[in-house]
Amino acid sequence: MADALFQIAEPGESRSKHACRTRAVGIDLGTTNSLVAIVDAGKPTALTDESGDAIVASVVHYGAGGDVVVGADARDRLAVDFPRDTIASVKRFMGRGPRDAEATRKLTPYQFFQGAGDQSVVRFAVAGGRAVTPLEVSAEILRVLRARAEEALAGPLAGAVITVPAYFDDGQRQATRDAGRLAGLEVLRLLNEPTAAALAYGLDKQAEGTFAVFDLGGGTFDVSILKLENGVFEVKSTGGDSALGGDDFDRTIAEALLARADGADASDAHVVRRVLDAARALKEKLTTESEASVDVALAPGKTTTLRLTRSEMEALVTPVLQRCAPPLKRALADAGVERGHLSGVILVGGATRMPLVRRFVEEWFGQKPLADIDPDQVVALGAAIQADMLAGGAGHDDVLLLDVVPLSLGLETMGGVAEKLIHRNTTVPCGARQTFTTFADKQTGFDLHVVQGERELVSECRSLARFTLKGIPPMPAGMARLEVTFMVDADGILRVAAREETTGQEASIEVKPSYGLTDDEVEKMILDSFAHAEDDVKARLLAEQRVEADGIVAAARAAMQDAPELLEDGEREAIDAALKGVEAARAGSDHHAIRQAVEALDHASKPFATRRMNRALEQGFRGRAVDAVDATLNETPRGPGGR
Amino acid sequence: MICWSCQRGAGAGPLCAACGALQPPDDAADLFGVLGQPARFAVDLAAAESAYKDLSRQVHPDRFATADPQARRASLARTVQLNQAWRTIKDPVRRAEYLLLRAGIDVGDKKPAPGDETKATHRVAAPPAFLIEILELNDELSAAKRAGDAVKVAFMAEEMRTRARETMKTIGQALDAGGGGLEDAARSLVALRYYQRFLDQASGEGGDGTL
Repeated sequence: MADALFQIAEPGESRSKHACRTRAVGIDLGTTNSLVAIVDAGKPTALTDESGDAIVASVVHYGAGGDVVVGADARDRLAVDFPRDTIASVKRFMGRGPRDAEATRKLTPYQFFQGAGDQSVVRFAVAGGRAVTPLEVSAEILRVLRARAEEALAGPLAGAVITVPAYFDDGQRQATRDAGRLAGLEVLRLLNEPTAAALAYGLDKQAEGTFAVFDLGGGTFDVSILKLENGVFEVKSTGGDSALGGDDFDRTIAEALLARADGADASDAHVVRRVLDAARALKEKLTTESEASVDVALAPGKTTTLRLTRSEMEALVTPVLQRCAPPLKRALADAGVERGHLSGVILVGGATRMPLVRRFVEEWFGQKPLADIDPDQVVALGAAIQADMLAGGAGHDDVLLLDVVPLSLGLETMGGVAEKLIHRNTTVPCGARQTFTTFADKQTGFDLHVVQGERELVSECRSLARFTLKGIPPMPAGMARLEVTFMVDADGILRVAAREETTGQEASIEVKPSYGLTDDEVEKMILDSFAHAEDDVKARLLAEQRVEADGIVAAARAAMQDAPELLEDGEREAIDAALKGVEAARAGSDHHAIRQAVEALDHASKPFATRRMNRALEQGFRGRAVDAVDATLNETPRGPGGR
Repeated sequence: MICWSCQRGAGAGPLCAACGALQPPDDAADLFGVLGQPARFAVDLAAAESAYKDLSRQVHPDRFATADPQARRASLARTVQLNQAWRTIKDPVRRAEYLLLRAGIDVGDKKPAPGDETKATHRVAAPPAFLIEILELNDELSAAKRAGDAVKVAFMAEEMRTRARETMKTIGQALDAGGGGLEDAARSLVALRYYQRFLDQASGEGGDGTL
């Protein structure tokens, strides 16, 4: 009733409904799933789509016609038919070079661009001969979230807080911030995911004390130790592995399934995609069941049933899960906290739904972990709170977030040794200054090599950037005095400045990862996207509606062919007419029209679909395997040209 | 200080006395003074921490996310200085090093650039006899680790921890006594650094498995 009343209110009224919302949003850009949340009337809330779903699958499909589809459609339908053109888990590639990606390439359906020229950044080769960077793929996901938020807030956004794994290095943070800019967002802050979770948790539950946040997502593992006291959220230490998550469980399971399945071709992208999907499906089923199976077409015309018990799965993934232990240990040691002395352990991330993971956490910390706030949403909710505070939302004046640098930052010195200027777990923002000198007579330039990591040798740290300070007058060795300043801002991003003191020669850079994109490249992408921004949104909605329409049309046709005897008088004509309507709308470029036509078709074919399902179920009781019934019911030809 | 925003006298606080705009910090400010504490080793940590947090609430970049660039820069620089001050003061070793540095004694473990001699600092080195003792202890520890003698490693570490604690106490007393005590404090601080390295060795990686 209230809703209906709202709808007939004066247009001006709806403004007041939005008045208590700040226009800044929190975004959890996840490996597997992404969400956007706002603070509405003082409460953080995740924004949902028409069907009430808050989650946007972090999967991006690039069509041959230049269209882009993001979300569940891309994951469930297009990834199966176009594995190479449908990028999932792109977060694992953020800020990474082709050599870094090698490790995650063991079992992947993607093709990497082998173009000449700039080989310093990963590029996926997708349909239409395009090569896209992880940054661009992420920006597509962010655009969908932005569109959702703009619709909910009925207007443009004031800014966004985007979350990143606490253990992301400088290059990965930069890539994330640039993806936000490319998606047309003003990035107010990059917020560490465990900190976001603690913020949502602490404010909601009024928690005080020292907490551990155990965040195991699709592709990253973070642990943060925080002290919560009088509104101050102080990160004591953080640790993790930016390449460890549910994906690795899937891959390990998939590798075992492939090894068991005779004649499966691990070099076929379709097979790889299907086995990875099967592994994920089995893993999810085994959260509640003790054994599960899925049917997978591993070779043309041949369906294989893959079975797995929970104990088999747990044996497979336990070695992967054990990789959490060293970072946990180090984070506690760095925080100076004993494992038994924590007030609580907060679970974050989809992978913490697995009973095995919960058991591991409970055993490790010696206490039952807390999961009162949906582990899939808690990060986005925390980000929304932070966005609200940054944009000047009322009511959080006493709240203070103190976060830290996850990995030490330093410079290469003589002999390839890394000299640390800023140590890990230093509270941000922070700075450091150090003086270096020349080692050769008449040396006129300094080569600076900025590195991040805990190891002594530069070769074992991550190379962030190289730059040169030139124009130093020739002097005897050791006379020049080079002062280098490091500054890490509240986003955890590093800026480096160098100055030769005797001459005043200066050089300063915002560190760009050696393997990343230059500012110019990002700027060009942003300009290009401005030119197409409006078109892009329309094109996307249109592409999505078309894909959905194609699926439903194909399903309806297949159903009528399969069970014509179930059609009642006039029903075929009605459905045919609705089908024509969909096709006509599909040929146009109005996504609203397509949606309406699809709904009409759905309406016209519903009684028939119900009869068909009832019959299938009856047949099921007469001895057919329920799995096979499910298979027929789900037999939806896939996408354009799928038949 | 003249306020960047209203061009009037800004006063001594972080915020301009006239218009309330956030002022950039004085880069040369004493880190104890930044937290309103007297410069001595026996510091009131609880008072320093609450000053740190109260000031952070006022100047943190989160409070200036949508402010104009100049205020944002001031906020960043202020917070960097605050964080630096609290990091220095809360840790006894860094606090001692800083107190010595203020007095012109450099015990930093970084090699000075040639030319640093021109500054009024002088460096303190460990006496050779001490170095020999530490070397021998290190050898003994390595041998115990190689032999997998966990009991001995733990025993040596415990002895060293006690020694480090005692040394820290001496350093604190010497620092606050002033005068010739500063030289003693500096030497003890150098020794302490070797103890710490020894302890890192003792608890080093690969010692006790993964869990």
